[in-house]
Amino acid sequence: MEVMSSFKFRWPPRMPKWSRRERHNFRTGLLFLMPWIIGFLAFTLYPMAASFIYSFSIYHSRRPLEWVGLENYASLFSDKLFWQSLNNTLYMVAIAVPLSLLLSFICALLLNLKVRGQSIYRVIYFLPSIVPTVAGTILWLWLLNPQVGLINNLLGNLGIDGPNWFKDPDWAKPGLIMLGIWGMGGTIMIYLSSLQDVPTSLLEAAELDGASWLQRLWHITIPMVSPITLFNLITGVIAMFQYFAQAYVVGGGDNLGQPLNSTLFYSVYLYQSAFLFLKMGYASAMAWVLFIVILVCTLLLFKISERFTYYAG
Amino acid sequence: MAANTPAQSYSRISAQELEAQHRYHLRRRKIRNFFKSLFSHGIIIFIGLFFMVPFLWMLLTAFKSDQDVFHTPPRWLPYDNVRVEVNGEQLPLYTVQTEAGEKELAMIKIVEGVGTFVDPTNPTQIMEYKLQQGAQRIAEPIMHISFRWRNFIDAMERGSRPTVGASFGVYFRNSLIVAFFSIIGTLVSNTPVAYAFARLKFPGRDILFIFVLATMMLPFQVTMIPVYLLFNDHLKWGNTFLPLIIPTFFANAYDVFLLRQFFKTIPEEMCDAARVDGASEWQIFTRIVLPLSVPVLATVTVFTFLWAWNDFTGPLLFLHSPRTFTMALGLQDFQGQHTMVWNQMMAAATVFTLPIVIAFFFAQKTFIQGIKLTGLKE
Repeated sequence: MEVMSSFKFRWPPRMPKWSRRERHNFRTGLLFLMPWIIGFLAFTLYPMAASFIYSFSIYHSRRPLEWVGLENYASLFSDKLFWQSLNNTLYMVAIAVPLSLLLSFICALLLNLKVRGQSIYRVIYFLPSIVPTVAGTILWLWLLNPQVGLINNLLGNLGIDGPNWFKDPDWAKPGLIMLGIWGMGGTIMIYLSSLQDVPTSLLEAAELDGASWLQRLWHITIPMVSPITLFNLITGVIAMFQYFAQAYVVGGGDNLGQPLNSTLFYSVYLYQSAFLFLKMGYASAMAWVLFIVILVCTLLLFKISERFTYYAG
Repeated sequence: MAANTPAQSYSRISAQELEAQHRYHLRRRKIRNFFKSLFSHGIIIFIGLFFMVPFLWMLLTAFKSDQDVFHTPPRWLPYDNVRVEVNGEQLPLYTVQTEAGEKELAMIKIVEGVGTFVDPTNPTQIMEYKLQQGAQRIAEPIMHISFRWRNFIDAMERGSRPTVGASFGVYFRNSLIVAFFSIIGTLVSNTPVAYAFARLKFPGRDILFIFVLATMMLPFQVTMIPVYLLFNDHLKWGNTFLPLIIPTFFANAYDVFLLRQFFKTIPEEMCDAARVDGASEWQIFTRIVLPLSVPVLATVTVFTFLWAWNDFTGPLLFLHSPRTFTMALGLQDFQGQHTMVWNQMMAAATVFTLPIVIAFFFAQKTFIQGIKLTGLKE
């Protein structure tokens, strides 16, 4: 009690450099920022802290928390499904992301050619990207239907025996990659707008000096758009680590990861652990591992790209 | 003043030559350009087929009849049975190889490979024929190109779980409600925050802005479980739209960033002039900055609509009762429940896609601008 009564609450010392005007501005600023501050505390900071704590405990939503230390993280390493889901995700990151970058760059080059009707072509290339994810995925389930689907029948006309796609563990991911390439219109448009920013004076000067089309592409265009390539690469990798809706629809909801866990991606397994197996602590540990993997990948990409990226001005 | 000095004649010949040469090159270039552009068009169209054909296939399948969906090889245009009215019933017409030669008969039913037919010209005469004898087909349905608009009505009236009154009509309405309030929430909450970061000078602003940008790096999965427990278990907001709508009223990094970039381009002098006249920051924000920001507000509106309309994970987490499903969730559920009715599935997918396509054609510039500014859409 003695201690308590001797303790006098004092406001923190007023910083001398804050004038009345500055304090007024600070208050006004905070008022304007209120929506974000409350949202940040309630939907970002609190959930981060909570999931960090969950990740060290066994937690079913209706039972009290049970602290288990690093057990969740340790059991990740011996979980076959965890490795399978990480493998599947890395497959997509390593193949789907670079492939769709390359193809969208090629499409952007085509859409940048000086031919008539280009605005119509651009709409056609772009349109699939605004089809809602679930609708697009179901459409491709239909197109890639092994027996009556359009693709296998067209392949049959060419004398090719089409694969079983989403019913074959080896072909399910290529099917998803096709779906992704079909909807890459956004990336194409980003590339296209950066191609239009490549100074024509540079290209013309190189042409006068006798540089071929390929040389101009390699020595001018590709370096000039390299910051956009880096941007697309990083956003693509981050999005691919969180790949979920398409895989969920292919699994039909009840058979997540089918066939044979070939579409069990990291986020799908995380969802399954949290909401179907109700292992919320385990899933939280997975989420933090995902966060760290994404952070490391992003930093690595920035570091590696330093040598390959050209920033004008 | 000599008529024909060598120099002049030289220059005249050379001019003619030059012109001829010029014309020759011009023609050659014209021909080359023609083939070049032909080649360009060819390759653009060829690759364009990959983007266009699946889209068309969705539309065409949506118009097909139930049996035409499974026709092998698939036909591009939708076909349906030719039907005739016999004794007040719409019956499909067949060509049947009868003893008296080929006849057009209407089919009443098929039982174990034996069809019961009636002659439309003589409705009392009922006959039975086997559909197939050995390798030879006896009865062949008569088909014609027919777009089945009913698929859309059927799809909208029935949903994934018809017994509980959940139809695509209901899902569509739910999606509209969620999208509408998300747009309101996003506009109301992000604009003041972005204004503060763009135009107000106060201590700590830049550090806070770094925090805003840092939240972009955080994957959704990290916050997903606690947010789910907060809304679902503590606030009991499961099966309502609140968990999808309420967070939009608390600003998000992408829209704050987008709006801030735009607000920064509005001339500072206009705001300063108002400040001198004694306007408060709120007045400057609502009376000067917002009216000048209509283009970027349109971009935010369109992209919030796209995002809310497309969102699958949010509804999946919080909506479990079919009556509350959004289009995305309802379509997935429908696909899981009925795997074979591709025509209705494609009709529902078309209805789901249509609002976005319409929005795109009305606001094409806004779309492209938004993509350039915000990068990829998820």
